[in-house]
Amino acid sequence: MSALLQTEKLSCRFGGLVAVSGVDLSIKTGHVHGLIGPNGAGKTTFLNLISGHTRQVSGSISFDGKNVGDMSAERRAAAGIRRTFQNLRLFREMTALENVMIGLHANTASEIFHSLLRTRKQRQEERDIADRAQEALDFIGLAQSRDAVAGALPYGHQRLLEIARAIVARPKLILLDEPAAGLNGAEAGRLVGLIRRIQVTGITVMLVEHHMEVVMRACDRITVLNYGKKLADGSPADIRDHSGVIEAYLGTKRGLRRPGAESATVQSGAMKVRNAAS
Amino acid sequence: MTTGAIRVIVLGAFVAAPFFQTNSYWLHVFCVALIGVILALGLQLLVGMAGLLSLGQAAFYGLGAYVSAALTLQFGVPFLVAFLLAGVAAAGSSLLLVPIVKLQGSSLAVATLGFNIIIYLILLNEEWATGGSFGMMNVPAPSIFGYTFTSDRAMYWLCLLVATVVYLAMDRLVHSRFGRALKAISQDEDAARACGISINLYKSKCFLVAAFAAGIAGSLYAHQARYLNPNDFAFNKSIDILIMVVIGGMGSLPGAVIGALVVVLLPEYLRSSGEFRLILFGALVVVLMGFSRGGIAGAASVFGRRLSRFVNAKSIVPKDMVQ
Repeated sequence: MSALLQTEKLSCRFGGLVAVSGVDLSIKTGHVHGLIGPNGAGKTTFLNLISGHTRQVSGSISFDGKNVGDMSAERRAAAGIRRTFQNLRLFREMTALENVMIGLHANTASEIFHSLLRTRKQRQEERDIADRAQEALDFIGLAQSRDAVAGALPYGHQRLLEIARAIVARPKLILLDEPAAGLNGAEAGRLVGLIRRIQVTGITVMLVEHHMEVVMRACDRITVLNYGKKLADGSPADIRDHSGVIEAYLGTKRGLRRPGAESATVQSGAMKVRNAAS
Repeated sequence: MTTGAIRVIVLGAFVAAPFFQTNSYWLHVFCVALIGVILALGLQLLVGMAGLLSLGQAAFYGLGAYVSAALTLQFGVPFLVAFLLAGVAAAGSSLLLVPIVKLQGSSLAVATLGFNIIIYLILLNEEWATGGSFGMMNVPAPSIFGYTFTSDRAMYWLCLLVATVVYLAMDRLVHSRFGRALKAISQDEDAARACGISINLYKSKCFLVAAFAAGIAGSLYAHQARYLNPNDFAFNKSIDILIMVVIGGMGSLPGAVIGALVVVLLPEYLRSSGEFRLILFGALVVVLMGFSRGGIAGAASVFGRRLSRFVNAKSIVPKDMVQ
């Protein structure tokens, strides 16, 4: 399998703070690729660099064989990179269906004149947009909420709606930014199933997530960031047993000077990660 | 009752109005109100849909009026052509705003206000083209295919026709890919970009459409009033248009219509209270805003919902049968 997305020496600084530093990352077509790391590791910044929402950047991003580093967020969306946001960014005053319809903006062409004249093509396109949006709602399991105002939906449904908006245009890659945040156990379990079903439709997924169980069960490959640098890269099994990763999450041995205590702590930390993965 | 039925009834009432009110002065006021409707509908697209606070609509209105008047007076251009060119000229001038559409909220409001002031000063000082502070006199009455709209009634119906077409056009735009993109931008720019919407392009297009509407409204005004004065297009006119949209109800097309009628007609009805009428009008605007943030349209829809709940609760017929 070839790489759908490849970054080379990708870096980003905000003033004096280096948020992402020289990250090489490659996502294979068809994979679910996890991006994890402690708080402040630069995961969301990295995702913003890929989607084009943050542009202060050095290094290169190639997507589907093209260099997209200089493209605006909207052009990348049109090229097939879609995303969700960590803190829900729905069009809150519009209905669920309308939210998903807007996801098809870049894939449709009707302009002001077509709409004023209600040309045959425009009406056909409007029907197509509504049909495809309805399909996406069915796929995600929100068919019954199509006419509900997005802001009034239950939290878990809002998360799902954002995913529907991101996949409706059948992009090549979707970036999910902590989709499990705020979900309960059962909902998180269903999320894993949903991510796998999205993968089956041929969409490559990049998943930023803190929920270890979701990450370990959904991902084919995982990259770990720490302090903006790539710490590790491998299969879920590799990452689970990677000593550097355990340290990054649970702290170093420094500060745990009591003899005998340190190995036990690290051991139990490793257990936690392993338990979460099972 | 369906939306279609309500529209037919309202339109019927508007068409019939000159049979009940035949006074020439009032028909003139009604024309001004309908021209206000066109202006408010244009601004509704900017403020209510795209969330772009523009205080420069009177500039486009003035440009349309002067272009139309000058074309017919000095070059003998037929009214219909001048009318369309007025819209095109206003829309074209809105391209000057392209560099500033990225401004947010109050910055954009002040920048468009500045634009309005510049256009006003041009209308006031470029005497060779605009007649300066004396304005333009003897603008011909509209004439289409040999028929001249000299009677007050005919002029009223012409204004009504244009206002109706603009309303239907806005309605189509609001429920289209273009309208959805504008609403998306007003609610979350980052999410809109993630959906592939180029923010500045759509904001510019929105200004273009709103300026076109203001331009043709200006043309109607020029040929209806027959006399133009720069003071009709100063920035306080822009504020009047904003008041129409806000008290009518942001984001609602019927709200824009109601707002325009209230802003133009209410001070006229209050004329009997003499000098107090503007104070009364201002006080009413304040009270109305305190009463309902959604304006008149918002208050009406809340009232409608309460009423239907009340009726349904009182009714012995099961709810699903009522619907």
